[in-house]
Amino acid sequence: MTATPHVHPPQEVPSDDPRVELDAATGAFEPIPPYPPRTERESEFYTLGDGEMFINMGPQHPSTHGVLRIVLKLDGENVVDLDPVLGYLHRGVEKLCENADYHHSIAYLDPLEYISSLFCEWPGVLAFEKLLDVEVPRRAEYIRVLATELNRILSHSMFIGWMALDLGGLTPILYSLIERDEIAEMLAALTGQRLLFNYLRIGGVNGDLNHEFLSRLGDWMSRATTQIESNLTLLNENEIFVRRMRGLGTLDKETAFRMAVTGPNLRASGVPLDFRRAHPYSVFPELEFDIPTRDEGDCLARYLVRIDEIKQSLRIIDQCLENMPDGPIMAKLPRLLRPRPGRAYAAVEGPRGQYSAYVISDGTDQPFRMRIHDPSFVHLQSVGVLMPGHLIADAMAVMASLDPIMGGVDK
Amino acid sequence: MDAALKRRLAARFGERLTSPIHQRHDETEIRIGPGDVPDVVRAVHDEPEFRFILLADLAGVDTGTSMQVVYHLWSETSADWLRVVADGLSREDPRVPSVTFLWQGAEWMEREAYDMFGITFEGNRDLRRIYMPPDYQSFPLRKDFYLADDAARSPGAGVRHMEQSHTPRSGRTETLVRKTRA
Repeated sequence: MTATPHVHPPQEVPSDDPRVELDAATGAFEPIPPYPPRTERESEFYTLGDGEMFINMGPQHPSTHGVLRIVLKLDGENVVDLDPVLGYLHRGVEKLCENADYHHSIAYLDPLEYISSLFCEWPGVLAFEKLLDVEVPRRAEYIRVLATELNRILSHSMFIGWMALDLGGLTPILYSLIERDEIAEMLAALTGQRLLFNYLRIGGVNGDLNHEFLSRLGDWMSRATTQIESNLTLLNENEIFVRRMRGLGTLDKETAFRMAVTGPNLRASGVPLDFRRAHPYSVFPELEFDIPTRDEGDCLARYLVRIDEIKQSLRIIDQCLENMPDGPIMAKLPRLLRPRPGRAYAAVEGPRGQYSAYVISDGTDQPFRMRIHDPSFVHLQSVGVLMPGHLIADAMAVMASLDPIMGGVDK
Repeated sequence: MDAALKRRLAARFGERLTSPIHQRHDETEIRIGPGDVPDVVRAVHDEPEFRFILLADLAGVDTGTSMQVVYHLWSETSADWLRVVADGLSREDPRVPSVTFLWQGAEWMEREAYDMFGITFEGNRDLRRIYMPPDYQSFPLRKDFYLADDAARSPGAGVRHMEQSHTPRSGRTETLVRKTRA
C-alpha cells in the first residue's frame, strides 16, 4: 500500500485588508512628508530654496551609529539644514519603569545605552537611594567607581574607532574592538554579562570582586597604557586625520551652554565642568584626577579630550585598587521597597555627559514617575547647529565627534 | 542642603512662590505658576547671585490631577540642584511658556514633553511629536493612558507606514482615553 503524498494547497497572501497596498515601492523613504507641515520650523525646512535639494539619510545608514534618519537639505555638496527624525528605537523605558517595581526598573535602565550601560543604571540607583535614605557601604562605592571607570574606557575606545571609521579609516576600529573586548570580558567576569551588565543594586552592587576579574584586570592594567598609546599612534600621527578634524564643527562656550551640552563635548570647548568634581557623588571627593580640557572646541579637541580622559580613568582605577576597603557590598534593605512619598534627582558624569534621573515616589513599590535624561539626546540636537555649512562627508565627522548613541537618544 | 540659596530665593521670589521652598539631600525645590516661568528662569540664569547656567533636565509630570513641568538647573554658586516646578497646569489644555529663548537645547526636551504628555510650550517653534509617529493619537506617559487600548487605536502602530498621510482628528482633548472608555 503506497501512501498518497499530501499536497498543500497553494497559499495566498490575504489581500482583503485595504490598508495593505503594495503598489508603491515599500521601504523607500520619501524625504518630504505627505502631510501638511505641523510647525513653523517644519514648513520652513521643507520649503526648497534656489538650487537646493533633499537627501534622505538613514534609518539604516552605517555611519549614523544606530537607527537614525536625517533629512538633509543640500546645496550642491554643502549641508544647508537638517531635520533628524527620531523614534525608530523608542521603547518607552520611562513607561516601563513606572509599571515595574524599584528593583526591576534597574534592568530597564540598562539597555538604554549598549556601550556604557553602567552609567545608565547609576543615576537611577542613586535617585532610589536618595528616596530611601540608604547609606551605601564604602566597598560597594569603590567597586562602583572601579567598574564604571572601566566602562568609561570601553566607551571612549569605541568612540575612537568609530570616529576614524566615519572619516574613512577602517583599521583603528579593529584595535578599539580589541580593547573593548578585553574590558568586556573583564566586566563579564565581574557582573556576569558582557553588554548589559545589570550590576548596580539599590544599596550596593550585585557581586563582590572575584579572582577572575582581578587577574584579568591586573593583566590588562600592566600593559594598558602602552597598548592604548600604541593604538593611538595610528591616528594621532596621521596627518590626514588631524588636518581633517582641526577646525571642523567648532562649538564655542556660549553655544554649548545654550544647547545644554555637557561632558567631554563641553570640556573640549574650554569649560572644566565635570560632575565628579562640580557636583560630587560616590567617593570621587577622595580620589585624585584631573579634568582635561581643550580650548578649540572643534572635532580634534573633542577627540583629544576623550583620550586624556582615558588616562585619568586609568589613574582612578589604580587608586581604587589601592584604597579598596573591606566590608559588606550591600546595605541591609527589605526585599520590597516602599519609599516615602517624595522626589529625588541624581546625576552622574558619564562618558558622553550628564546622565540623570528624576524619580517621584507615591509610597507604593513602583515609581510614580521616572524621568531619564540622556546626554546623547541633547548632543544629537546640537548637530543641527554645527552641521550647516559643512560638506556631507564632514557633517558625518561632526556627528561622530559628538558621540551620540541612538539607544540613549530614543529611550 | 544650601540654606543660603534658600534665603536668597525666598528674598528674590517671595510672593511668586506658590508653596514653601522644599529642601532635601542636595536639592532645592521652588514651585511657581506656569505664567512666571520665563521671568523666574531668566532671573536665576542671569543674576550673579544665582547663575544657574546649565539646564540639566526638563521633565513633564502628570500627577493625576494636574500637570507639571520640572526644570533641573546647575550652578557653580551653589552645591544644590535647583528644581523649578511649574505647577498647576490644567489637564485639559496644559500650557506653559517655552524656555527656548534661554536654552535652545530645551527645544527637543520640550518636544519630548509634548509628545509624552501633550503639554503645549508656547514659543517653541518646532513643537511636533519626536518619538511617536506623526499620526499617533494619544499621550503615552499620561496617567490615563491605558496601554492596550490606546496603543492599538493609533494607526501608526505597525499596520500602516509611519509617514503615510492621515486626516487628523479635530480636537486634542478627544485623545483622553478615560472619556472614550467610560
